[in-house]
Amino acid sequence: MEALKITGLSKIFGSGRLEVRALEDVSLSIAAGDLVALMGPSGSGKTTLLLCVSLILEPTAGTVVFDGDTIYQDGWTGFDVRRLRREKIGFIFQTSNLIPFLTARENVLLPQDLVGVKGEVAENRAEELLEYMEVAERADYLPPLLSGGEQQRVAIARALANRPRLILADEPTASLDTARGKRVMDLLKKVARENQTAVIAVTHDARMIEGFDRVYHLKDGRLNNSNNHG
Amino acid sequence: MDLAVKDLKRHLGRFLTTVVGVGLLFGTVLAMNGIYRGVVFEGISLIESLNPDLWVVERFRGGPFSEQSTLAEDFHYSVAAVPGVAQASPYIAYPVEREIGGKSKRFTIIGYDVFGGMGGPTKLTVGRGIGQGHYEAVVHKKLGVSLGEKIPLGLHRYTVVGLTDDITSPDGEPVVFLSLPDAQEVLFLRDNETVRNQRERLRRTLARNSSNSLEAAKLLTALQSDTHTINAVLVKLAPGADRLEVARHIEDWLYFSVYTSQEEIDLMLRGRLAKARMQLLIFRTILLIVSMVILTLVIYTFTMEKIRSIAIMKLMGAANWVIIRLVLEQSLLLTLSSFIIGWLVIHNTQYYFPRKIFLTPLDESVTFGLALLGGLFASGLGIWQALKTQPALALGGH
Repeated sequence: MEALKITGLSKIFGSGRLEVRALEDVSLSIAAGDLVALMGPSGSGKTTLLLCVSLILEPTAGTVVFDGDTIYQDGWTGFDVRRLRREKIGFIFQTSNLIPFLTARENVLLPQDLVGVKGEVAENRAEELLEYMEVAERADYLPPLLSGGEQQRVAIARALANRPRLILADEPTASLDTARGKRVMDLLKKVARENQTAVIAVTHDARMIEGFDRVYHLKDGRLNNSNNHG
Repeated sequence: MDLAVKDLKRHLGRFLTTVVGVGLLFGTVLAMNGIYRGVVFEGISLIESLNPDLWVVERFRGGPFSEQSTLAEDFHYSVAAVPGVAQASPYIAYPVEREIGGKSKRFTIIGYDVFGGMGGPTKLTVGRGIGQGHYEAVVHKKLGVSLGEKIPLGLHRYTVVGLTDDITSPDGEPVVFLSLPDAQEVLFLRDNETVRNQRERLRRTLARNSSNSLEAAKLLTALQSDTHTINAVLVKLAPGADRLEVARHIEDWLYFSVYTSQEEIDLMLRGRLAKARMQLLIFRTILLIVSMVILTLVIYTFTMEKIRSIAIMKLMGAANWVIIRLVLEQSLLLTLSSFIIGWLVIHNTQYYFPRKIFLTPLDESVTFGLALLGGLFASGLGIWQALKTQPALALGGH
């Protein structure tokens, strides 16, 4: 079953002489457990696509179907998009973007707290994820006391906390060295396969997408080809 | 998860420093309230405490506190004879600076008729009232003397038979109650050389204007200055007497000015205390505004420092109430903690101030209410900023 299907998605910033077409007629679909890489030069619209998919940015036109539900169609959305994000989408950023005043454990507890999962259930899930990401021994550390790789692994644990259907990763390895970057990508692949979670990862680095199901190239807002890397 | 408390716990040192800083500012605002109220309280405490039905003073004078007033002592018999007057008591009050216990001290001497007259201490904390015509005193605790101690005033030493903490002079100085003759003696006692000098001047004046020196010598004794003067007569009206009628009678027939206690208070507030009150009121208002601006900035800064974290939470789908609670809870915690610190500081230091700090629950409630409004306003600004923050900020733009 398709986790996400995008059809004819466009995003235009400004108007008249200042108009910028960030995305033009983008269509793609991802099945549960699929790993998709988005590549392209800076300013090609990769991050904008992630923002439009999660409805953080409202597209100008097109259709977004998530888990069989049309969550956006040509300027209309009848969905509680925040609820959609906190329950079904996990985010991983270029930098870890952990909440600096929460420990690693509390950062993983936060998304669960936002959907009303608390107490022992939430604690066990956080423990399980931190162990899965091999940072359990650093659970009570604040983010500034963790290394870049540890922070990114905690960020992945946080993204997985509510068992999302889709993970959007925006250059998750950009701030890491090659070895740590590959480790993070391997974890993402493991997560996608074991949890049947669809993953869209934006990256510049072709070395990081080994084992991905598809690679899309974006240029000037257009999705111009796709290859299998499996 | 209580995000506000978790954030404050992680930045506990900074939070406590801010709370102490803002708290001291609130303490200063509360102190200014107390100083303002204290100036008014002390300014009228003598009038309020004595509270006679009428004050009879020198004609066209606003005495005895707002302006100097001098009457011959025996006029109180004339006032007592006016229909509707139940009692008329002579009263004198004047400031002095004398050495007591090896230290120079300023205080106000009040002389009154100790045998049933009005004008004496109304509330004693320890000891008794003056029971004999001479050499006894009732003293305000602020003067720092103890019961039974003898204080030197003029030629004599006066035994402290009672202590009071009720009344201060309009300037906030302690008061010393003496019998009327003792108070007059202390007031008019001159240095021997001064007395001889004045007497010689008068003798020469008389010699120039008299036919012979024998007559001048006779007149000299009779023309010594009168020390039997008072500042006011305190009047208690007979039951059923018309206050206005009695006042008009005294003004028309005895040629004095007459005020009720409320009019005396008004004279003080509009006259002697007016500028001090206005000065303090303006300063108090400025201080309150400054405190609220600082509180607003602190709360706003606290919120803006978390704006990226707020963007991340919004991107993760956090509901608005989660963000609002974070900002509002921190704002209220900061405002409340600061106010409590300020309240504790001023309530534990008020007695070290040289003049009365008169703290009232109303002033404290109003100040707290305004602080809370300031906090809520700052929260409103913070919440407004937080809610309009784009989740995309967490990604470093788009």
